[in-house]
Amino acid sequence: MSSETSTDAQLLVRHPETPRERAPFQAWQLFTLAALISASAVALRAGYLPSSVRVALILTVFAAGAIGVAALRTLLPFASGRGPSAPAIIGGRTRAALEREKTLVLRSIKELEFDRAMGKVSEKDFSEMSARLRARAMRILRQLDAGTGYRAEIESEITRRLAQPAAAVATAVEKRAPAESGDEEASAGRLSPAATMDRDVAACGSCGTRNDADARFCKACGARLGAA
Amino acid sequence: MASLGYYLLLAAFVVSAYSAAIAVAGARRRSNALIESGIGAFYLVAAIMAAASGVILYAFLAGEYNIKYVHRYSDAALPLFYKITSYWGGLDGSIMFWVFLLSLFGSVAVYVNRERHRELIPYVVAVISGVQMFFLLLMVVHNNPFATYLTETNTAGRGLNPALQNFYMVIHPPTMYLGFVGLTIPFAFGMSALITGYLDDAWLRAVRRWTMVAWLFLSVGLGLGMIWAYEELGWGGYWMWDPVENAGLLPWFTATAFLHSVMVQERRGMLRVWNVTLVITTFFLTIFGTFMTRSGVVQSVHAFGQDPELARMFIVFMIALLTFSFGLVIYRLPLLKARNELDSWVSREAAFLVNNWILLFSAFFVLFATMFPTLSEAVTGQRLTVAEPFFNQWMRPIGLILLVLTGIGPLLAWRRSTLVNLRDQFLIPVGFAVVTAGLLVSLGVRVWSSGLCFALCAFVVGTVGQEFWRGAGVRAGVTGTDRFTALVGLVGRNKRRYGGYVVHLGIVLIFLGFAGKGFKIEEKASLTPGQQVKVGEFVLRYDSLKTHDDAQKQMVTAQVTVLRDGKELTTMYPARWYFHGHEDSPTTETAIWRSFAQDVYVFLASFEPGTQEASLDFHINPLVNWLWLGFGVMAIGTGIALLPETLFAAALVRIPANAATTSLLFFMLVLLPVTGTAQSTTTGKIEQRSDVERKIEGELMCTCGACRRTLASCGMPNCHGHAAQSKKLRALLAEGKSREEILAIFVRDMGQDILASPIDRGFNRLAWLFPYAAAGAALVVIVMTARRWSRPAAPAVAGDAGVDSALSARLDDELRDLD
Repeated sequence: MSSETSTDAQLLVRHPETPRERAPFQAWQLFTLAALISASAVALRAGYLPSSVRVALILTVFAAGAIGVAALRTLLPFASGRGPSAPAIIGGRTRAALEREKTLVLRSIKELEFDRAMGKVSEKDFSEMSARLRARAMRILRQLDAGTGYRAEIESEITRRLAQPAAAVATAVEKRAPAESGDEEASAGRLSPAATMDRDVAACGSCGTRNDADARFCKACGARLGAA
Repeated sequence: MASLGYYLLLAAFVVSAYSAAIAVAGARRRSNALIESGIGAFYLVAAIMAAASGVILYAFLAGEYNIKYVHRYSDAALPLFYKITSYWGGLDGSIMFWVFLLSLFGSVAVYVNRERHRELIPYVVAVISGVQMFFLLLMVVHNNPFATYLTETNTAGRGLNPALQNFYMVIHPPTMYLGFVGLTIPFAFGMSALITGYLDDAWLRAVRRWTMVAWLFLSVGLGLGMIWAYEELGWGGYWMWDPVENAGLLPWFTATAFLHSVMVQERRGMLRVWNVTLVITTFFLTIFGTFMTRSGVVQSVHAFGQDPELARMFIVFMIALLTFSFGLVIYRLPLLKARNELDSWVSREAAFLVNNWILLFSAFFVLFATMFPTLSEAVTGQRLTVAEPFFNQWMRPIGLILLVLTGIGPLLAWRRSTLVNLRDQFLIPVGFAVVTAGLLVSLGVRVWSSGLCFALCAFVVGTVGQEFWRGAGVRAGVTGTDRFTALVGLVGRNKRRYGGYVVHLGIVLIFLGFAGKGFKIEEKASLTPGQQVKVGEFVLRYDSLKTHDDAQKQMVTAQVTVLRDGKELTTMYPARWYFHGHEDSPTTETAIWRSFAQDVYVFLASFEPGTQEASLDFHINPLVNWLWLGFGVMAIGTGIALLPETLFAAALVRIPANAATTSLLFFMLVLLPVTGTAQSTTTGKIEQRSDVERKIEGELMCTCGACRRTLASCGMPNCHGHAAQSKKLRALLAEGKSREEILAIFVRDMGQDILASPIDRGFNRLAWLFPYAAAGAALVVIVMTARRWSRPAAPAVAGDAGVDSALSARLDDELRDLD
């Protein structure tokens, strides 16, 4: 679980807060101040009211302040004028999902060992289930090593096959196909990753943006690639 | 102020609509700005509702009696505390309070999950906003809590219903609402997972904790409601299967089922469709429960009265809800397909299946029995009564089966348990049960259901104890520490499992309380001051009757001294309070002397101010306090399961201890006995009632109109209906009529709804047959599905052969680090 959170935190960059955090005086402070002032005004001016009623009024004033903050929070995203969000998260999801899956499998192994120690599983069942789980864990480890998951694996597979003669490819396909089935692939397949791979990119000389290997112009600044 | 409040509600409605629309639009167009704005609007609803709550609070405190709601539920003499709580004392305010809590809870849920489940959040916002919109719409068009009188000017209010002026009634509804509202969050996440198609197990992780939180509130709320009924209603019991109580219990059953079956999905990837269905059903039942109690479809002590228009709106909403959510499930069925395989019937998966079957059946049965009077009225035109005896008859065996499962489940392994495992695992718990049963028989306990319950409780305690003991032993062996440290580490490493076991212990305590009911003693007596009666092992002496007044009410208090073996134990003060403006329905202030073995429970039924003669009901309720303690233990267990992952390392050693101490303190407070003084004596006469009479009293409903209870448990023995019925019953018994004849006479004279459970004839047979049929059908479905799943499992994946040793070593390393 902990590994899952940490990966998420790394991968999901917090976009919305960045511009506002630099402002010296933030909107919510303004509203809090306004609420405080009005609340004190109520407390001072409404001395003829019982104290419980004054407390209710003050609470209402603060709620009004909260309304202000929230209303601003509602409208501000339009004012800051950011376009459609980058799909960066989704690439992260694959890795996060893999990490999560790994933790899950590792935990299952642990649990299984614990169950055996508690005398709940027979030796035969244990070895069978343990072998199955370990195989799965190693598969995930290998995928994590290979890069950002299936996308990377597929890409490298394609490169490898393109380099091979046609006959070899045919046998390779037959060999791989029945190897596994089921939900892992189905779910992982859905998470179409848009991650880029290190060796297939070319950094732009002027702005540093990574571009596809076959790009001729930088997609961010338009500078000619390879020229710099 | 009133119009400000109303405008705030209108604004909340508009903002909710905006939030739902803009969030969905943002998600579809992948526009961050739109989504962010939607989330902002979602927070805005919470802020607006807070302001509206502030306004209504102000109206109550300042006494704005031109607002209908304030006029109806408050008056100047009401203590400050109850003035605040009048906010949710009535229908309109409780809907508003509901929306307020939902918006707060929802905001917290969205705030916490907005990064981790980014792709789900827009739809979560939309779904919760949709639910909010429905309740806001109810208020805007129909149940406006800010509605004012057009012409009348009121300077005083009518006051809060006296029965609600009780500490537990103040905290019980908010806790229940938190439970109900909390269950909206899992529903919203489930829906958004269905909409987006991100149906991997991520959404479950988000949902599980929220379900646990809601479940905790629901359980505690139910417990508080029981304490309230026990202390305030004066019939010596705590649960009578009233529709409103049932409304809270229904989602509790399904939420419990979900919390169990979710483990099967996590561990085995099975039951995906089923889990989504459970989440939807649970939410639906919270709405249905609200519908049931708010619209007057069923009759109940604390339902809010008839309201066909409200009922119509609820029905439309519920139909839309079901269509939408199950439509989505069907649409996403291909994605929900899972690799289901059941290796053996003797496995934990199978135990969970049975557990789900029983829990769902309980929910279904309670729902059916609650709705049966309405149903029969619609079909046969005759309203029947389905009350306590009917429920008890059914739920007793169901409860016992659940208790057995509580003990069996943890002992089974995932996938399959072999015979050797079973013997090894079951030896000690079964031994516990057998020893207890032997002990009970030798002690001469002859109430079979209670005895069985005690034995099963011992079985579950054996199971849980063994799990902790052996687990600690295994861990001590692995980590090389002593057993206690190992135990702490064990709980810390798998908080959910061991927290769950603690919850099971709580369940055991609760069942102990239930079993105690089998030994209760109940007597009635009319006494003059100085007379005493013997009830069970206690001698109770009635000393005097006094009358006091305060600004709000007149209080008539009797003084009763409790003696055992000639020694004075305590003095008790049962009372009746006559609130001004509510003189016709005095509240009953029962006096309870609590101990761990039993409660002495005295209730002032009626009195004669001139002669100081008082009719008193005496109950000896064994083991009741274990019930409350059980709820406390359950809360602690859930607390352990909920501890944040990162926190436990530091806090684990302290927090449970603190929680235990505070809860114990809380319960000691509850258990505080009353103390007092003494006087001289003569012996009074206990009203002699034969067993047949007691039995029949349990089978006939009281006709006094207000209580909706059986004669045996009606708290007003001298009201017109009750007194007449008792006289008639006694006369018939004196004539030597049998039980059947007497029941027949009552039915002839008063109609069928005098009976607490419907006669097994004609359409009514359905009431008896239907639960069997439903349970049977469900069982058949489960067995068939399970058989389909229990195809021989595929041989272990031999692919990825050539397990390379480097990778294997790394795996071992990671496994070691995981601890």
